Order: sequence, then structure tokens, then C-alpha cells
Amino acid sequence: MSRWRSLRWQIAALVAVASGVVALAVGVLVHQSTLERSLALGRDRALTALLAGPADPGPLPAELTARLGGPGTFATWYDDRDPDVPWMWAADDTGAVKIDMGGDLRNLRALDRHIVLASAGVLGLVVPLAALAAELPNRRLRRVARTARRIAEGDLEARTSAGRGGDEITGIAAAVDTMAAALHDRLRAEQRFTADVAHELRTPLMGLVTSAELLPDGEVTELVRDRVGVLRVLVENLLEISRLDAGAESADRVAVPLGGFARDCVHRTGLTAEVTVHGDPIAETDPRRLDRILANLVVNAHRHGNGPVEVRVAGTTITVRDHGPGFPEPLLAEGPQRFRTGTSERGRGHGLGLTIATGQARVIGARLSFANAPGGGAVATVRLN
Amino acid sequence: MSVSVLLVEDDEVIRKSVGMALERYGYRVDPAADGLTGLERFHAGDHDLLLLDVMLPGLDGIGLCRRVRESSLVPILMMSARGDALDVVSGLEAGADDYVVKPADTSVLVARIRALLRRATPAPGTPRLVFGDLTVDPEALEVYVAGEQISLAPTELRLLLEFAANPGIVLDRQTLLRNVWDYGWDGDSRVVDLCVQRLRRKVGADRVETVRGFGYKLRR
Repeated sequence: MSRWRSLRWQIAALVAVASGVVALAVGVLVHQSTLERSLALGRDRALTALLAGPADPGPLPAELTARLGGPGTFATWYDDRDPDVPWMWAADDTGAVKIDMGGDLRNLRALDRHIVLASAGVLGLVVPLAALAAELPNRRLRRVARTARRIAEGDLEARTSAGRGGDEITGIAAAVDTMAAALHDRLRAEQRFTADVAHELRTPLMGLVTSAELLPDGEVTELVRDRVGVLRVLVENLLEISRLDAGAESADRVAVPLGGFARDCVHRTGLTAEVTVHGDPIAETDPRRLDRILANLVVNAHRHGNGPVEVRVAGTTITVRDHGPGFPEPLLAEGPQRFRTGTSERGRGHGLGLTIATGQARVIGARLSFANAPGGGAVATVRLN
Repeated sequence: MSVSVLLVEDDEVIRKSVGMALERYGYRVDPAADGLTGLERFHAGDHDLLLLDVMLPGLDGIGLCRRVRESSLVPILMMSARGDALDVVSGLEAGADDYVVKPADTSVLVARIRALLRRATPAPGTPRLVFGDLTVDPEALEVYVAGEQISLAPTELRLLLEFAANPGIVLDRQTLLRNVWDYGWDGDSRVVDLCVQRLRRKVGADRVETVRGFGYKLRR
């Protein structure tokens, strides 16, 4: 937000304009009425002088003679042909006088100057005062904005605590608090639901897993164990996604030497990948979440791409590249979508792996981007820090 | 003489299958279907390890754990199907030594059981170590606070010996998980945090210092 577009300066400008208009109006009115009064006085003075006896003021101006009617009438005229030396003329059929109006003019000019000076002085005082007064609601508004940002960043305990007072800012603050409380409740309910679902799914699954282990080895047993394994991975992935969606996950950071970690991680997947490490990078990150990200990327590269799969660690950037057809266009455009794999790939994976990798990357504050290499093949890049 | 495990689990299939699986590994399994029965069995028998489900009818796993800890230092392994922080933390706070999330492979379960049953190994010829009013005898595996002998659960004792072997040195949670709990890289650091809390209650709160962001160290 630009400093000069802040509400404080907008209010100050508004006050300045309003004060300016008022000062101008008052100034014009005072100027006008003072001018009229001095003209009336000048006329009286000129007529009094005329009655006392006409002098010889010089040739009558045409404007004055035009005003003179018949005998017994008189006329006055304010002569400002030279704006700095004004005269008041009075004439009747017997003669004319003119009196000097310069004093009045100077008085009027002085008055104008005073009005302008006083207005400027008041403006100079009022505008900073307005800016200062606007600072108070401003500060409250900023606090509301800060709280809203903290809530957006996931701190659902944040409250504006605007206190009482019936103005609109308190209204906004109360609305933000209500929103945060509603979000908080919904998140809690979702987390509870996820935990309950986890319990309900995992309990029978555990019975299934251990029972399948107890079966005598054989072809049918292999089939059962295989499906139990698939079911188990699916359930865990779904639970992981709902935990990530609930936004309640937080990273547990330690110093991780990335080279050895990437090698171990690939080893644990049981898949082959060529790991190259440049230097001896160490990152402050959550190893369990980073393992999930890397393992999912390597598994995905094997499932949807072709070998060789290459894992490259350079600094705190890790890239996983395969030599298959590359990521499909919708994935590059919209990012991974759960349960969406290419139609030709249906039945191989659930499209959850990359969704989880993206979610976990968000938790550890890493950036995960997907691209296709110019020479073909999918490239997933994890940037830590 | 085989190792005896008290298995408290309300799901019948898990109780039976885990029981059978552990028996294949040579453990003797004493099954119980709810918390109160589990407590009775515990008082009646002499078990080397307790394997407890968290959600149990009647007395739940956490309550059972707390009751057992009132009188016993037997290693306790919790099984949680929810796996959320609340379950895990309350279980560890109640005195469990470690936890597994369901579904767990039998091999994982057995590895955890073995790690918890691993006795602290006496180190003959090692002199007594004195840290303020705390005395650790690595040879006799005895611990004294202000001259009084205190009893530590096996995990707590191993943790204290690990600290005592590295006095004044900061040990990070990963190292402790590896050396005390036999975890590779995937241990949960809350297991360490909560065991340290229990240890502090016994040896004095300021004896084990928290080094924020790194781990713990024993104050000399």
C-alpha cells in the first residue's frame, strides 16, 4: 500500500479541501461586504463633500455624466480606471467632487491578506491534526488487517480483540473475529472427523494386515497381500491428504544432510534412481515430510515415466527427472489433482502421490514445481528454503 | 523362559491376529478385550511388556497406562489408530514408552517391542557419575537423587545413561531416538520430549536442560 494512499492522508486531504473551501467562501463574503460598505461610505463622503461645495476635480468622466439625469439630481461613480488609485466621484448639475478611495483599497487589500494568512495558518494546523486524529482508527484498521492476514496464514487462534465501541471498525473487527471462530470450529470438526475416519478405517485394516501376514504362503496369499498393501497405501494417502487439507500440520525441522538423505530415501522406495549430489548441502527441514515428497516423486516417475530416473541434489534444490512422455498438460497448468491421472494411465495409481507431495512441500515451506524437459521427460523440482 | 506380553485390544480380529503373530515370534501373549480386564490381568500376572490400544471400552488405554504406572515400570507400547497429536501425546504423557500407528506390520511391532525390552547394559568398571545431587551408577544401573535411590523405567534409565555418558553435551532428538529407541530416521521426536519430561519429574526439573531448536543436555 502506497504511503500517500493511506487512509490517514486521504482524510487529511479531505479535511484540507473542506477547510480550504470554507475559508474561501468566508473570505469572499467578507471581502465583498467590506468592499460594499466602503463604497457606501465613500459615496456618503463624496455627497457630503458635494453639498459642502463643489470643487474642480477635472473633466467629468463619461460614465458619470451618463448617470446624471435632469436638474436637481445627483450621481456617484466609483472610478477604478487605475486600479491602484481609485476615486469616488459625486456630481450634480452644479458641479462635481472626487475623493480619494486609496485608503479604503489598501485596507481591503490588507484584510484580504489577513484572511489568506489566517486560512493558511488554520490549514497548517488542522491538516496535521486531522492526520493525527485519523491515525487512531487507522491503527485499529491495521490491526484488523494484520489479524486477518495471520488467520489466512493459518493462525486460527488470532483475534482482533477490538474491544467495545459501536463504530464501523469495531463492527469489522467483530466480523473478522466471528469469521475466525467459525473457521476454527469447522477446522476442529474436520480434524475430529478425519481422526474418527482414520480410526474406523485403520482398525479393520490392521486386522486385515496382520491376518494376511498369518496366511500360509502361496499364490492366493500373494494376491490377498498385494491387495491389502494397495488398500493400506490408499487409506494412508487419503488420511494424509485430509490432514494436509485440514491445514493442521506443522514441520518438525532438523538439519538434514541432503545428499545421503536422498540416497537413503531412494533406497527405501526399493526403486532404482541415479542420485547425483553436488557439494555437501545441508538443509533445515522436516526429514519425514521431505522423505514423503521425494519418495512420491520417484514412485511417480517410475509409474508414469520411463527410466532412467535421475535425482539431482544441488544446493537446497532437488530435481527428480524421468525419460517418459512428461507430465500431462492439465497437470502443468493446474497442478496435481487428486484421483486424476491420464486416461491411458487409469488403474495405475490414484493421482494422490503428487497431491501429497505438493501438500507436504507447503508444510515444510518448500516450493514444488512441475515441468517437462526440452529433451522429453518429466522434471519435478523441490526448492527448500 | 519366553517374554510375556499383555495385549489389551478391543477389536477381536486384531487381538487374535496380533496375538498369533507375536506367538510366532516366540512371545507369550496374554490377551484382554477391555481396559478393566487388562488392569486385572496386569495385577494378576507378571508381564514383561504391555501392548495397549488407545481407544478401549470402559477404562481407555491412557487411563490404563496411568494406573499401571502408579505401581510399575514395565515397558508400555501404545497402538493408536487415530494417530493424531492428542492421542499420541496423551499416551506418552500417561507413561507409555513408545507408540505405533495402526495398521502396523508385525515386523514393525516386534522391532518396537524388542527396542523397549532391551535392557540397559551395565558398564563394569565405570565409576559412579555425580551431577549435583544426582548420582548415576552405570555398573549397578542404579540412580540416586540426594542419596535416595530412585526407580526409573527401562527407557528412562537408558535415556539417563545416554545423557550421563555425554555430560554437558547437547544431544539432538534424532540421536536420542536412534540410541535409546532404536529408530532409524523416522522416529517421532515427541517420544523423546515426553520421556525427558518424565525423567525430569524423577531426577529434578533443571537437571536436563532444553536447548531450543537442538535437543537436550545433562547439566553437570
